[in-house]
Amino acid sequence: MFKVKNHSISRKLTWMNMLVSGAALLLACAAFIAYDTITFREAMVRNLSTQSQIIGSDTASALLFNDPQSAATTLSALKAAHNILCAAIYEPDGRLFASYSRDPRRDSPPLTIPADEAETHSFKNGNIVLVRPIVFQGKPTGIIYIRSDLEDLDQRLRQYGSIAGVVLLACLMAALLVSSVFRKAVAEPIVGLAEVAKIVSHDKNYSIRASPAHRQGELAILIDAFNEMLTHIQENEAALRKAHDELEQRVQERTVQLETAKKELEAFSASILQAKGELERASKFKDQFLSTMSHELRTPLNAVLGFSDLLTEERYGPLNDRQRRYIGHIHTGGKHLLRLINDILDLSKIEAGRLQLAIESVSVKTAFGEVADVMRPLAEKKSHSLLVNTLNELSVRADAVRFKQVLMNLIGNAIKFTPEGGKIELAARQLGEVVRVEVRDSGPGIPPEEQQRIFEAFYRSTQTEKTVEGTGLGLAITKRLVELHGGHLGLESQQGMGTCFYFTLPCVAGLEAEKVRTSGSVLRTSETARILVVEDDLTAAHLLQSHLVAAGYGVVLCGQPERALEMAIELRPSAVTVDIMMKPVNGWELLSSLKSDLRTAQIPVIVVTVVDQPATGSLLGADEYIVKPVEKATLVGAVQRCLNLRGRIAPTRPLLVVEDDASTREFIAELLSKHGYVVSVAPDGAEARAQVAASLPELVILDLILPDVSGFQLLAEWRVDPRTADLPVFVLTSKDLTTQEKDYIRANTGALFQKQEQWQEALIRQLQRAVPPVLTEKS
Amino acid sequence: MPMTRSNSFAPGQSAPRNCVLNHSPRVWQYPTAIIAILAFLCVSVSHAQQSRPNEYEVKAAYLFNFGRFVKWPTTTAPDKSGSFAVCVLGQDPFGTILDSTLAGEALDGKRVTTRRISKPQDAAACRILFISSAEKNHLKEILSALDEDGVLTVSDMPDFSQRGGMIEFVMDGDRVRFEINLANAENARLTLSSELLKVAVAVRKNVPRGD
Repeated sequence: MFKVKNHSISRKLTWMNMLVSGAALLLACAAFIAYDTITFREAMVRNLSTQSQIIGSDTASALLFNDPQSAATTLSALKAAHNILCAAIYEPDGRLFASYSRDPRRDSPPLTIPADEAETHSFKNGNIVLVRPIVFQGKPTGIIYIRSDLEDLDQRLRQYGSIAGVVLLACLMAALLVSSVFRKAVAEPIVGLAEVAKIVSHDKNYSIRASPAHRQGELAILIDAFNEMLTHIQENEAALRKAHDELEQRVQERTVQLETAKKELEAFSASILQAKGELERASKFKDQFLSTMSHELRTPLNAVLGFSDLLTEERYGPLNDRQRRYIGHIHTGGKHLLRLINDILDLSKIEAGRLQLAIESVSVKTAFGEVADVMRPLAEKKSHSLLVNTLNELSVRADAVRFKQVLMNLIGNAIKFTPEGGKIELAARQLGEVVRVEVRDSGPGIPPEEQQRIFEAFYRSTQTEKTVEGTGLGLAITKRLVELHGGHLGLESQQGMGTCFYFTLPCVAGLEAEKVRTSGSVLRTSETARILVVEDDLTAAHLLQSHLVAAGYGVVLCGQPERALEMAIELRPSAVTVDIMMKPVNGWELLSSLKSDLRTAQIPVIVVTVVDQPATGSLLGADEYIVKPVEKATLVGAVQRCLNLRGRIAPTRPLLVVEDDASTREFIAELLSKHGYVVSVAPDGAEARAQVAASLPELVILDLILPDVSGFQLLAEWRVDPRTADLPVFVLTSKDLTTQEKDYIRANTGALFQKQEQWQEALIRQLQRAVPPVLTEKS
Repeated sequence: MPMTRSNSFAPGQSAPRNCVLNHSPRVWQYPTAIIAILAFLCVSVSHAQQSRPNEYEVKAAYLFNFGRFVKWPTTTAPDKSGSFAVCVLGQDPFGTILDSTLAGEALDGKRVTTRRISKPQDAAACRILFISSAEKNHLKEILSALDEDGVLTVSDMPDFSQRGGMIEFVMDGDRVRFEINLANAENARLTLSSELLKVAVAVRKNVPRGD
């Protein structure tokens, strides 16, 4: 194997040696032979020349004395020269004089020859031909021609060739010997090195070493360097392998750890999922519980409250004092229970984070007005004065219902804890980006030790001498509601100096507030009768506004008659006052468009103008006609007539009450008929659907929670059917509604009443506005 | 002369005429060259026509050639040193041929001259003496009258070499050949080249027999 490997470099060395020496020798031989050939030929020529000279001089006399015989005799002496093929003597004019041929059959001199003054010789056909003039005593006497073969030269060359071959062979042998020496000295170490390198690169075995050179020089350096390099590589490789092994081990360990961790994580995640499922189930259950609670608790309470209320009216026979007192107790207890339930449900909803706020821009002034309207009767009961103090238009970002709930809670507390004849003040002012709302009373104040505990649920003040009615949940709910809005509820109190509860709510920028002010959505929440005043003269408009506001009506001003119809459709006001002299649309035009539009045809229109044409007005459908200047009494009277006027056209169709709870159904029916309405009832959705299909009712009072077909479903069905698309529907429910549900109801129904509130009065008020009651024979 | 001539031409004369006038006199300035060319042409023509030389032409050439193969003794008479005289004794068979053959030649470092003599005494100044065959009767006195040394005797009379002569022309058919009597030549202290002997028909060494 090693020998075979040797081939490359050692063979190359051998070849190189032999080639070099052979080539050198061949060159030398060739040069020598060439030189010798040339020299020999020259010598031959010289020899021939000499011979020709001798013969020439020997034959001069024969030529001169015309003796060819003698010349031939002289020429025949050339027999002794074995290389002369033929020779001849010519006369000076070139004629043949005498000739000689060694073999006349083969070689013979030419018969004539051109005269030439100088000796010439030429090589042709392997012969040398020499022609030389014979000069005797300075005179050309004749010409001699000698032809010789080159046998001598050939023989000599043959000899040279064989000698050269022998020498070459000897030389190559010597070269072989020398190269074998070189191989030992040069090739074998290199081959060995190459072999080692091959093994290293093939087997990755870095432990072997090239045999160290025992000589000096580049080879030794090369081998040493190679070995050193191998050592380095071996070390590095070992280190690398070690690192690799360690890494692998570490990776394996980590993999195992990771897998363990992964399993743990999976188990954990499974348990979390399970817990989540349980939590979801629990949460769902809680939702269901709350929903059920609100419905199931309120429904019987409504019956208790409603019927106790009806009994006190003594419509079905007089009550003795004891009965009246007891019924009063039932009613009071029922109301308390209802509040308590509402508060508990609210609180639990807040605590569960399930209370959804419908945040919008709310005008503080409007909210104050509405709350004051509601609370004033209570305050007056205790001879409190309720002052509303808002200097300018402020709007807050809040849920309007909850904002008012907070205000009512605080005012209610103030009324309750302030001795009779006290003063309760409602104020709001802007503080940077928030609005600070204050409810201040002239009560006894709260001692510092109670100021913190007062917000806890079911905490009841010990300061009041007599027990005050309440659930003890109001402030807790209030505080949480404020905090839900991103505000803060606090109090400032000094004993004997009254108490001030205050809270903050995020403020709305002025521009947005302006929009809020003219927007109907907020105004629609007002439960007071709203009058749209269409008047392009600002002074006249303000005069009308002041008269109407003083009479307790809500007023919306419209200075652009072209927008009046639009606003009327949007706001659905209780009545509209219209000026006649307006631009670009005059009052007549507006009047006729109001009366010809089905959406506004029912709204009473009061023409307030300097134009005294009542006939035209009544022709165009005006309900009242007032000629300016306007007196307050005339205006208010006209408005009142208009509002009552709507009842004049009695509906022939009944109101449909859809309610599954028999007692509540009966109570509602009783309530409505008490107020002069014809009522039909449906205990479930299917019945309601059938009744509506049979004949359209004037209005539907719809409960949402029904045994078979829900109120939402009925509503959706009716709204899709063009026949019932405009059927007025009031929703009365005990269900806790989400924001979306509320939005849906607002968009598709005329009003929403929730049984947990004081709904009866609101329902009747709203109903009276929408459908005038039939004055039955009963009343 | 040509310079002045050429200068004498006034400017303004036409160039071609100038040339013609200029050249013609120049050529005629070298009459010898023209003569030489003409002579050469004549010789060539005559030579070509005369392909085969007659007997005396050959003999005349031989006379000259003999002189080239013979060495004369250095102690030759001073008058002989002036020229190399080839003499004809008696009736001249060569005519002008001998003169024309030897004209301009030189032998033994001297100009070759021809001379016709009638008396043997005159022959002493000669180097080569051709003895007319008509003198065969007087041969003895002629030979004895010759100088001790220095005269090469040649004749075409029969038995000349036997009778004391040195070189005798003999005819071999129409070829002119010769016999030599070496003894006679040695008597005259003449050295004949072996080359000459080689081409001789016969070389004798006997002294003349006494008549």
